[in-house]
Amino acid sequence: MIKQSQRTSIIAIIVIFGGLIGFSFVTAGSLGDFGITMLSGLFQGMLLFLVASGLSIVFGLMGVLNFAQGGFFMLGAYVAYDIQHPGGLIDLTGAIPDPNVRFIFAVVGAAIVGAVLGFGFERGLLRPLYARPVFQLVLTFGVSLVIVQVVKALWTTTPYSWTETFGVREGFFELFGQRFSTYRLFVVVSGFALIAAIWLLLQRTRIGIIIRAGVEDSAMVEALGINVRAVFAFVFTLGCAVATLGGAIAAPFLGASAGLGDSFLLASIAVVVLGGLGSYGGTAIGSLLVGLAVSVVASYATRYLNAPVWASLTPMLLLILVLLIRPSGLFGEER
Amino acid sequence: MNILEIEAIDTFIGQFHILEGVSLSVPLGAITVILGRNGAGKTTTLRSIMGMTPPRSGSIRFEGKPIGGKRPYTIAQMGIGYVPEHRAIFKELSVHQNLEIAERRRGDLHRQAAFIFELFPDLERLAHLSGGALSGGQQQMLAIARALVPDNRLLLIDEPSEGLAPVIIEHLMAAIKRLSGQMTVLLVEQNFRMASRLAEHYAIIEEGRSVATGAMADLRGDEVLIRRYLGVTTGGAA
Amino acid sequence: MWRLLRANWLPLIILVFLIAFPFIVGALTASSPLGLLRGDRVIMRGDSVRWQAVLIEVFILAILAMSYNLLFGFTGVISFGHALFFGLGGYTLGIMLERTDLAKGSALIVGIVVGLVLSGLISVLIGLVSLRLRGVYFTIFTLAIAQMFFIYFSRLELTNAEDGFAIGALPGWLDPSQDRLGFYYLALGLFAFTFLLIRRLIHSPTGAIFQAIRENEDRARAIGYNTLTFKLIALALAGMIAAVAGMLFVILNKKVGPEILSVTYTVNPLLMTIIGGIGTFAGPIVGASSLHLLDTIFRDLTITIGGSAIKIADVWDLLLGLIFIAVVLIFPKGFSGLWLARQKKPRPDAKL
Repeated sequence: MIKQSQRTSIIAIIVIFGGLIGFSFVTAGSLGDFGITMLSGLFQGMLLFLVASGLSIVFGLMGVLNFAQGGFFMLGAYVAYDIQHPGGLIDLTGAIPDPNVRFIFAVVGAAIVGAVLGFGFERGLLRPLYARPVFQLVLTFGVSLVIVQVVKALWTTTPYSWTETFGVREGFFELFGQRFSTYRLFVVVSGFALIAAIWLLLQRTRIGIIIRAGVEDSAMVEALGINVRAVFAFVFTLGCAVATLGGAIAAPFLGASAGLGDSFLLASIAVVVLGGLGSYGGTAIGSLLVGLAVSVVASYATRYLNAPVWASLTPMLLLILVLLIRPSGLFGEER
Repeated sequence: MNILEIEAIDTFIGQFHILEGVSLSVPLGAITVILGRNGAGKTTTLRSIMGMTPPRSGSIRFEGKPIGGKRPYTIAQMGIGYVPEHRAIFKELSVHQNLEIAERRRGDLHRQAAFIFELFPDLERLAHLSGGALSGGQQQMLAIARALVPDNRLLLIDEPSEGLAPVIIEHLMAAIKRLSGQMTVLLVEQNFRMASRLAEHYAIIEEGRSVATGAMADLRGDEVLIRRYLGVTTGGAA
Repeated sequence: MWRLLRANWLPLIILVFLIAFPFIVGALTASSPLGLLRGDRVIMRGDSVRWQAVLIEVFILAILAMSYNLLFGFTGVISFGHALFFGLGGYTLGIMLERTDLAKGSALIVGIVVGLVLSGLISVLIGLVSLRLRGVYFTIFTLAIAQMFFIYFSRLELTNAEDGFAIGALPGWLDPSQDRLGFYYLALGLFAFTFLLIRRLIHSPTGAIFQAIRENEDRARAIGYNTLTFKLIALALAGMIAAVAGMLFVILNKKVGPEILSVTYTVNPLLMTIIGGIGTFAGPIVGASSLHLLDTIFRDLTITIGGSAIKIADVWDLLLGLIFIAVVLIFPKGFSGLWLARQKKPRPDAKL
């Protein structure tokens, strides 16, 4: 069901997507360059989604803008790196010699670490502050500082670049005469899988229905006899787990460094807000939109303008543009 | 016997003292209406019962057990259904999901479906529409139906007639009358005509204090009381 | 007169102390408040001079935090773009001094005037397009604008991109590496002026409307106030005061770089305000001084726990994070909240 008010958003999205793709097609030097731009856009969009999805559902339900989300993403990258590589805190190279299997352990391990810490974070720190949203913001900011410091203490301040190779990370495939790393494709596919998984959770399960109802009116959900605080804890735990999972998936490509979280956090906040606060679909589309826009602008600006700065400005510019047209984001509730 | 006993509750919202010693008894198996002017504290009384604006002092007992200080969800689970003003149905969920979410045990909806759809036949037809697509009257029916899904013994209904056409109000009144055969109802209603036809008991709240209670039959004849606290005459609608 | 003194005894004592501070430290550490004389020039060495720099930075941060509190604490406008005005003040002054052909003195005046006007204008412009946005949308919109300036100046060739540029062309009386004490009193004066200005403003009818907007904007509008105009006034004033802080900051450091536009200078005043006490006059000052002094005192410290020496500087951010968490959980009204609670003056909650 499409509401009248959303029709303009959908038209706007189609126009922006079409415009970006068309613009890139016309200005790209070759079909291969066009392909690279598109795939890299999808890739960046998915990386953004890995941080933004958790931010989005947590904000939608609980009204908490979790500044530590970027920190969890970074933590996930470190945990995955540690599990995959020899040495470090957890050395599985002896127990599991196959790097492919170890990568699965690395990703799952990161998600578990995120879930456990996220649960503790919600229970111990956020819970006393639900009546004071600004304080929650400060609190999550404090936690993000602590995460960075703890990571530096555990894994030193030198960034790690991923050295271990395994199945999907080694491969390449060809498209329009250009070579692409299969790992980028893997990230894109994982991103879409995550979008679908969360969507199914929200649409098809009882907890998902409760979450969607809670986004609209959590007090009413509680008045029906549902322990909303328990749902908050679940959603916050899930949000943190998704962030660390995302960091783990991104790590073979981006490595692990203490600044990883910050670099994604601001663009992810832009994504969540331009998609419309509380709208999961808005976040998914917003991620793709921003990823694609960044990639198209980057390729054009480096080729013709010699001004790569425009690519960094793109997420913010797009956010401002969207808010000027629709003050509550693409799919946000008009209030 | 009273299903609900409220004794001298004081409720604050922020620094505002909204209820200043409200006392109220709700007899079992009947419809009781809370009357009073706008801003008198009627809605806050219901919200205090639900624990959504917890009273700072005084006591509330439901079926003899104290419920003061409990979280809203535990109060609801004891058997109290809440139909707030402005309905508060979930617009993004389908009508069916709006009912399903109120289940406390698996199968609640299945067990109650026949009763609910007999009261509100429209809802069965609209089950797959989203809540936001319903008209005001349909939303009100859905909000009441939602409170009927689990095993509730007491229903709190806030201003069901607000903003609805007379025909629909008649329909709702009939439905509330019917369901009161199965459970106790505590109603907040501005529309005095509707209230006086529906309820057997009344309580009047004025500026956060309970000023009069009794049988509806007595109130109907008491022009002085009505004019003083409600500002309406027996003949006219609100 | 006596009443005025009695009502303001605490700020007055603090002011007197701050005026005497360079000399007190000088006397205690046997160092000259004017610096050391080497041959025919004075160099900025010694404890008194060093502590003057620390306090100058406290004054600057307090001015910034007070301007943020005007928006956040008194008007209820939560902007995440405050660093923009701090940075804009600094960059405008820096560019006028170092990137134009104007003489030192006139560059300074033009820089200050243009910086203030630009900050005011840009605040109003941003406010005009964004104040119709609600809640978080407004907050994030301001963050996006500020980030764009930050990114842009991080790449701008004219200002040496990420490295920034040094300021050398300062008149001697304003140069903290030539006359630290003079600059100390200038910063102190501006700090005291900002405090009085904001206190005066908040106690005026305009300030009453600011607070009415914070408590309930719809009601303020219903009473008949054009709340948009008043929010624009608050934004413009806060922006201009922040620009002054930014100018002082670049003069103190004699350097302009994109970090003054970064989120740090939005987050710092926010945290300082919260730690000190939202919507109080003393809050931002308490927050700015406690955070910056803690930072200065503990940064060089080394403690030994169970045989292993830990340099505080290495774990400073960790401590800072823990302080934020502790303050938020334990002192919800900030440090000055404790003081106010002791005085038992009923104060309306800031409801944030």
